[in-house]
Order: sequence, then structure tokens, then C-alpha cells
Amino acid sequence: MDSIDKKSLEHLAELARLELNPGEEEKLLSDLKKILDYFEELKSLNTSDIEPMNGGTSLTNVFREDEERENTNIGEGLDAFPESKDGFLKVPPVFQ
Amino acid sequence: MSLNTLTIKKFHDGLLAKKFSALEVAQTFFANIKEHDPEIGAYLNLNEENAMREAETVDAAVAKNESVGMLAGVPLAVKDNILIKGQPATAGSKILEHYTASYDAGVIKKLKNEKAIFLGKTNMDEFAMGSSTENSAFQITKNPRDPERVPGGSSGGSAAAVTADLALAGLGSDTGGSIRQPASFCGVVGLKPTYGAVSRSGLIAMASSLDQIGPLTKTVEDAAIIFDAIRGHDPLDSTSADTNYGNELLNPDFVKIKELTIGVPEEYFVDGLNNEVKTAVESARKTIEGFGVKFKKISLPHTKYALSTYYIIMPAEVSANLARFDGIRYEQATSDKRQATSLKDVYFKTRGAGFGQEAKRRIILGTFVLSSGYYDAYYKKAQQIRTLIKNDFDEAFKEVDAILAPVAPTPAFKIGEKTEDPLSMYLSDIFTIPVNLAGLPALAIPARNYADYTQTNAENFPRESASSQRKSASLPIGFQLIGKPWREADILGLGQYYERTTIPEFYSG
Repeated sequence: MDSIDKKSLEHLAELARLELNPGEEEKLLSDLKKILDYFEELKSLNTSDIEPMNGGTSLTNVFREDEERENTNIGEGLDAFPESKDGFLKVPPVFQ
Repeated sequence: MSLNTLTIKKFHDGLLAKKFSALEVAQTFFANIKEHDPEIGAYLNLNEENAMREAETVDAAVAKNESVGMLAGVPLAVKDNILIKGQPATAGSKILEHYTASYDAGVIKKLKNEKAIFLGKTNMDEFAMGSSTENSAFQITKNPRDPERVPGGSSGGSAAAVTADLALAGLGSDTGGSIRQPASFCGVVGLKPTYGAVSRSGLIAMASSLDQIGPLTKTVEDAAIIFDAIRGHDPLDSTSADTNYGNELLNPDFVKIKELTIGVPEEYFVDGLNNEVKTAVESARKTIEGFGVKFKKISLPHTKYALSTYYIIMPAEVSANLARFDGIRYEQATSDKRQATSLKDVYFKTRGAGFGQEAKRRIILGTFVLSSGYYDAYYKKAQQIRTLIKNDFDEAFKEVDAILAPVAPTPAFKIGEKTEDPLSMYLSDIFTIPVNLAGLPALAIPARNYADYTQTNAENFPRESASSQRKSASLPIGFQLIGKPWREADILGLGQYYERTTIPEFYSG
């Protein structure tokens, strides 16, 4: 399988919205290479007709009626917001 | 009062007989915490005022001869990724350093109804990522059996608290072994329930298809009592199931238990398994065989692929679950935010400064295995192998009722021993991971006749003999009983029978 280089690591960090310093990059790169090498063992296993297992159980979908429910928790998460205004979350501009 | 052999059952009986009050016991635990926790580092935050008030409420109910449940007044330690309304919940991460929970987790609601008492929140590897509790952003937790060693992880704080009598019992969470491995390292009992048996609402998610909350306790009976209290369907977790467990969990039928057949998987007793662990597990097997329980060799042929499979599926889910920590909905970890010129800037800066090394490693790894071009080769492949691993267990359970295995390949390792090499840390979960992938229940129990670990705890801490010369032979070692889905009653029943034989002092008056 393909391994990972500095350029692809930087791309992944961009996708994951992670700021990495150069020291971190170097350590991550060498760790990830070792981990991906370890995964090589999976290649030898033929899984062509195997159904992938999604989720933790074979439970079926759970539905509920789409009806009004009382929610007593409204506004409770607000104090976790770093900045809010009139009960709304305040963020820096998305577009400049 | 000696907390040493105090169990939930004994506490309950003593409370009703008015031998002590809930308040006295809570005070004793807080006194213990103040004396010993500065050395152990099990707790991140204490909940003393509320705990005392709740204890008084329980005492008032007992004084009025109101009927109270088995968990009323029981002082618990709660892993810091489980939300208690109004209490901090950091999940061991700097990114949630100042976060206060705005609601109760499903399990906490149930325990509050039972009038259990929460002493405080315990240390853990950041977002439950680790096997030693060294990945906590805040502190190291020491193994109370030997302060130079790790307590295991990621529920190391709860395990250490129960071990050192800083709580009567605790809650942890298990994604790849995070309840069972610290239980084994500390010499306490840990139960990872069937996936879906316990609500995950209010558990800060690591890998949603693998996470389960479960108890860490001194005895199997205590684990059964807590599991029975926290299990059941929760409308706020659609993967939680409404399963009828009947009365078996609290009243095991030992005649039936002795008729069980237990499988011993050859793949779990291979090179790399420490000799002392092998001896300890074998001695537990012999003890159980003495009860008349039959043993049978079985094969779980895809075991060797479990670690790789897990380290693809889990980081994939991590990368999605940890996306919510963006510096916007929860507090940002950096004061740079005001200089941040755009929303994207806030994301990068907060996440870069707020997540530790292991969290970053797993986010990147998860992003990689899910990314276009690699998805089929890694993520889909891993999901397919997950099916094969589950099928192995399904096949085995046609012949046997439960499975006996080691919990970890070694006893507790030294602090700092594995922090530089993530792969060697990952390998310490090699025997616990398959259970999570297959969604099964599993119980870690200290092998009792292997050595005497019963007289440990606060009176004995720190041990004078604790030194670098200490041999691992004197450390606790756990064995694992893996059950069929929804058959916690089998492994808890057998575990309890094992303890009634080997540590009767925990079960008598």
C-alpha cells in the first residue's frame, strides 16, 4: 500500500484543520510510516466477498415519530461558547 | 472503618444496619483522597460539596426507614469523559480544560436516580486515547501497587482510585480495552458491556461504534450491581438496546454456571505473551476447572489482524468525532483567537494548540484512511476484516458459552517506557481489541491465587518495597472472560463464583 510523505501529511493536516509545527510534522511522519507499514499485513487477506461491518451491532435503524417534544436543555450549551451575542454563537467572518 | 474489603453490598448492609452513615463514609473517602491522591494522581477534579449534600440526603432517607437502593450513598469515581451536569469534563484534553458539562450522561442520570454519590472526575488519556493514562494533558497517574508503573489506560484514574480506596467503585469507558487493561494492571475488576447495553449519551465520543461505559470495582458482584443500574435503553442513544436481562445479573444461578463450557483460543497464547501472564491465566483456568466447568480449545483465526483493523476503524471515527472541537462551540485553547482573522484560522490555531500528540496522530491517520484513493484499501478493508473477526467469535460461540483469555500481554509497565513508540503502546491492547470490534461483553478479573493482592490499598500505600528492583512477578495480572452478546450474566456469574472461592472475605458479612 502507499505510504505517506511530507506533502501528503501537510495536505491531511489541512483537511483536518490542524496546525502542526515542523518538529511535530517530523515525528508524525515517522510514526505514521511505521503504523502504515504495520497495516501491510492486511494485504495478504482476501476479503473480496465479505460484507463490511458498519457500526458496533447488527441492530436495525431506529425510528421515532416526528412529533413535538419538550426539550428542557435549550440554551444550556451557551456558556460553553467562547463568544456569543443574544443567545447566538459569535464567530469571525467566514468570507473576507 | 476499614475500606479495604468494603464492597457495595457490605456498604449497603452497613448503611441499613446503621453501622455508619453515608456522610461518614464519604468523609472517609475524601480524607483518603486528600492524604494519598497527591501521590497517585487519580482525580482531576473533586465534587466534595455536592457529594456531602447527597450523602446527607441518603442518610435522611435511611433515618426515616425509606427504602433505598443498593447504590444509595455509594461513593463513585467517574472518568472525566462522562458528563455530570455542572461539573468539569475535560476528557483529559487541554481543548476542554475549562468546559463545564451542561447535562448529565445517560448513566449519570440512572445513578443519580439510585442516589449514588460522585466523589469526582478521574484522570485519563486524552479523549481515551492511550493505554497508560500518560497521554493526559494534565497529570500522570501512578499505579497504586507500584508508583513507578502506569495504572494502565485509558481509564487509569478510575482504576487507580478504586485500587487505592479513593472510591468504592468507578466508571470507565472501553473502546479497545480501556476498562479491562487498567483493571488488570491495578488488580481490580473491570466490565466492558455488550455494545449497546449501556447508553453512550453524554460520553465524550472517541470511536462511536466501539465505545462502551462500564464499571471498575473491587469485586465481580459490585461490577454486576453497577452494570445492572446503568444498562438499558436511552432515547438519547439510538444504538442502546432494550434487552431483558431478567434477574440473573444480581442472582446468578451457580448450578447453571458450573455447567458452562469455556473456550481457550490458541491465538491468544502465543509468543510475546509474558510468562507470568501465561502462568496467571493458566492458574485461573485450573481453579475454574475445579468447579466442574469444562474447557475446550478453540480457534479465532483472524485474531492477528485485529490490531491493524482497529487502528484503521478507530482513527477514522476519531477524525470525525473530534471535528467538533473547533474553538467555536467549546472554548478555544489558545488566546490567539482574537488575532485570528478568519474562521479557518480559529480552527487551525485552536486544534493545533489544544490537541496532544496522540490525538493529532489519530486524527491524521483517520483522515488518511478515509481520504479519496485510500478508502477502499484501508477503511473498507478493515470493515470487512471486522466482519471476519466477528464471524470467528460467532462460530466459536456455537461450541462454547464463554472464552477465557489474557487481558494484556504483560503486567503494568514502567512510566515512560512506551511513550516514545506508539506502536509498542498499541500492542498492549492486542487481546482486548477483538472484543470491541465484535461488540461483545468481557470481564477482567485479577487472577487471585497467583499471588496475594488483597491486602493492598490505602493502608498499604505507598509500599516500602516499591523500587526499581521490584519484579513484575509481584504485580497483579488479570484474566478475561469474554461472553456471548447480551450474556453478561454468564461471565459475571462465573467471575463471582471464582471470587467466592478465592477471596471469600470480600463476600462474607
